[in-house]
Amino acid sequence: MKPWIVRAALVTLAIVASLGCAKRETPVLHVYTWADYIKPEVVQRFERENRCRVVIDTYDSNEAMYAKLKAGATGYDLLTPSSYQVQVLEKQGMLQPLDHSRLPNLVNVDRDYLAIAIDSGMVHSVPYMLTNTGVGYLRSKVGELEPTWAVFDRSDLKGRMTMLNDMRETIGAALKSLGYSLNSTDSLQLEQAKDVVLRWKRNLAKFENEQYKGGLASGEFVVVHGYNGDLMQARAENPDIAFFAPREGLSLSCDDLVIPKDAKQVELAHRFIDFLHDPEVAAENSVAIQYLCPNSASYDRLPADFMNDPALRLAPEVRARSEVIRDLGSDLVKYTRIWDVIKATP
Amino acid sequence: MRRSRAPMWLAGAVLAFLWLPIAVLVAHSFNASRFGGQWTGFTLVWYERLFTAADVWRALANTLVVAFGSTAIATVLGTTAALALDRYRSRLQDVHHLLVHAPLVVPEILLGISLLLFFVALRLPLGMTTLVAAHVTFCVSYVTLVVLGRLQDFDWTLLDAAQDLGADGWTAARRVLLPLLAPGIAAGALLAFTLSVDDFVITFFVSGPGTTTLPLRIYSMIKHGSPPIINALSTLLLALTVTTVWFSQRLLKEAR
Amino acid sequence: MAEARGLFRPRDERAWSTPSVVWLAVLFALPALVVVAIAFRSADPYGGIGADWTLGTLGRLADPTMPALLWRTFALSAATTAICLVLATPTAYVMARCSSRLRQLMVLAVVVPFWTSFLVRIFAWKVVLHPEGALQRALVALHLVPEGSTLLYQPTAVLLVLVYTELPFAILPIYAAAERFDFRLLEAARDLGAGPVRSFLGVFLPGIRRGLLTATLMTFIPALGSYIVPDLVGGPGGEMLGNRIAQRTFVDRDLPQAAALSMLLALAVLLPSVLALTRSRRRTLGTAGAGEAVR
Repeated sequence: MKPWIVRAALVTLAIVASLGCAKRETPVLHVYTWADYIKPEVVQRFERENRCRVVIDTYDSNEAMYAKLKAGATGYDLLTPSSYQVQVLEKQGMLQPLDHSRLPNLVNVDRDYLAIAIDSGMVHSVPYMLTNTGVGYLRSKVGELEPTWAVFDRSDLKGRMTMLNDMRETIGAALKSLGYSLNSTDSLQLEQAKDVVLRWKRNLAKFENEQYKGGLASGEFVVVHGYNGDLMQARAENPDIAFFAPREGLSLSCDDLVIPKDAKQVELAHRFIDFLHDPEVAAENSVAIQYLCPNSASYDRLPADFMNDPALRLAPEVRARSEVIRDLGSDLVKYTRIWDVIKATP
Repeated sequence: MRRSRAPMWLAGAVLAFLWLPIAVLVAHSFNASRFGGQWTGFTLVWYERLFTAADVWRALANTLVVAFGSTAIATVLGTTAALALDRYRSRLQDVHHLLVHAPLVVPEILLGISLLLFFVALRLPLGMTTLVAAHVTFCVSYVTLVVLGRLQDFDWTLLDAAQDLGADGWTAARRVLLPLLAPGIAAGALLAFTLSVDDFVITFFVSGPGTTTLPLRIYSMIKHGSPPIINALSTLLLALTVTTVWFSQRLLKEAR
Repeated sequence: MAEARGLFRPRDERAWSTPSVVWLAVLFALPALVVVAIAFRSADPYGGIGADWTLGTLGRLADPTMPALLWRTFALSAATTAICLVLATPTAYVMARCSSRLRQLMVLAVVVPFWTSFLVRIFAWKVVLHPEGALQRALVALHLVPEGSTLLYQPTAVLLVLVYTELPFAILPIYAAAERFDFRLLEAARDLGAGPVRSFLGVFLPGIRRGLLTATLMTFIPALGSYIVPDLVGGPGGEMLGNRIAQRTFVDRDLPQAAALSMLLALAVLLPSVLALTRSRRRTLGTAGAGEAVR
């Protein structure tokens, strides 16, 4: 073999080996979160200030994250599940209690939100970002739309619409369109909701949790069911995108920061949580990802047009009809069964 | 005698079909439009963005670590397996033959899920070690096949001659068998490396924290619609591949 | 067969075989058994594997949507295989008859796209089939598709991309067989009066039948288990068995059901595989001595 090939191979191996070594020297914080959910510059600043590396893996639904954890993906130090998923994780004993003495910035968390939060004492979780769902659409393709879930009945838009691949969200939307609670466990109401989703499904291109924003921005889809912050991010790419909050009500949620029981970098994870609730960081992060962090000390640092954006600030009557998704315990299987039928029916 | 021209047109069309998406990809890596629907101008900005995308390079590093590790192990296992299958006939080898050839006819999703469920059942944490183990498992068969193919035309009398001349088993192996088999082993290793680098399905099933490989990153980028960077990355990888292939063709010609 | 003394003695068989046999037994055969075992467990409602043994998980396979799913998976795979064979055979024929230099180029032309990332090639098709893209606009202009429709997210898109990804696996085995085919047989057939089509079908195809068989297997089986292609370009109507397995694993966190479905897929794959494996073993044993008829 030519000598220079041997040398090149050795050099490559050396580089690869040194990459492996570098990993072992600096502490690494493993974060498992939604995609595009932390501003990269915020992460880099934390890495510099704490002389560590932050590795971010992403998931596209609470269920997928949970499935991965249950399947043995241990080694994550920080997660950002939605509040109802936090309830599930907590019941399964998968979380560790937070040490408030290491989290001085917790005083900044919005008291009004905590009043309605599930874990109001922040025993296991600290609120990270408030989210709500809604509908994004391309103005130039469909004009101004009526703010109702019934938009998914429009067969003229067949094949160009998507809904979330999340049974709580999509079945919840159907329940809301019928005037029911999206935490309903009533079999009759769920049956009706199933029929509504099956009707909508005929007009959908697919159920999608992540591609909808890129798809909407590129014109692949013209109407999508999605999260407000994601749609606001997409609007920055394509100003033709508009958002409406369906008048029948929508789902509210908060994603929380939690530390799994088997986390290795507990100290670093606490520091990251505290860092994210520094008012300046919270404001910077919020504006970048277009979601609202319930950190009252950060509110006056947020630009006015962000705070008043209809995607963020719901009209009072819509807010009154909107609900927070709650864990349903063993009743969840009723939703799973319906979702199976929905997914399987062509 | 006139040969029909129809097959030639069809073959040409098929080859064009194979290259169509590649051409589109390369073209769009220079397209200023973010969404690839229409052409809005020539730009190199996606290549610039690619170079600052730290997560992509980290994923590439992971991919290479896994690929080198699994190729090394798979090559050793595959070579010993090929030698065993070629040199011996027995019940053991019948079972061996089945074990080696079965992974080739099993869809990747089955390999992925069986490994995941296996690791779950044993409560093994998912990480680099389990990932490398998974990659070795699907690569071994390919290495074995390539080396076996080479062994079928192998002239064993050369080894006998070496031993007649006084070389003991291991010297003969080192100085006669391995060098003669080297091209086959290298080809097998190259194939294993390629398969490992490009693997998505199995990696998707068994990946854990911090084991995001390049295909996983690409999948995530596809889902988020960061298309232009992927186009740029693919174009670069394609250029790298074509150069490597051209280079190795030159080397082979010189070797002859 | 020459005996390489000292290196391949009968008592060395164990040593040569152990590494690969043990590895594959532990990491391939054993997991397969684990999958079968898990299919007989109940599902834990909070995800993961339940504590008790039951036939219920397998029973749930008999849900009314299964036949449609299985049929669609089978039909798409069969269609993909058929189209690939039809396209690959003439291509391989042309490649085998070309001059050596052109032939090398053509082989590279087939292989090099295969060297780019599999995901990226599928993604490229999403760009080609994009509702705002050139192809769509051309088809609308030619009145072949209605305005505002999309080529993506349909079973046809799945078929198209499956054919695209499987085609090299069809071309290469057929080409390998065609390269060894003695084309003088075709000339002889023509001399005897057979037309080009007749000689192609009656002489060439039987002559490369081993390559055709390999191509069929290497196309059909991966297609049966495909999951990425329907996931990325198929819509709700394009779901295949692989998608459901992935959904059960990652979204519904119903690992026992995923295992049960995997068993189903394995059974579907088993029959053609067993046939292929027993033939290949006989072939390997055979070439040690005699050699084959059509070489």
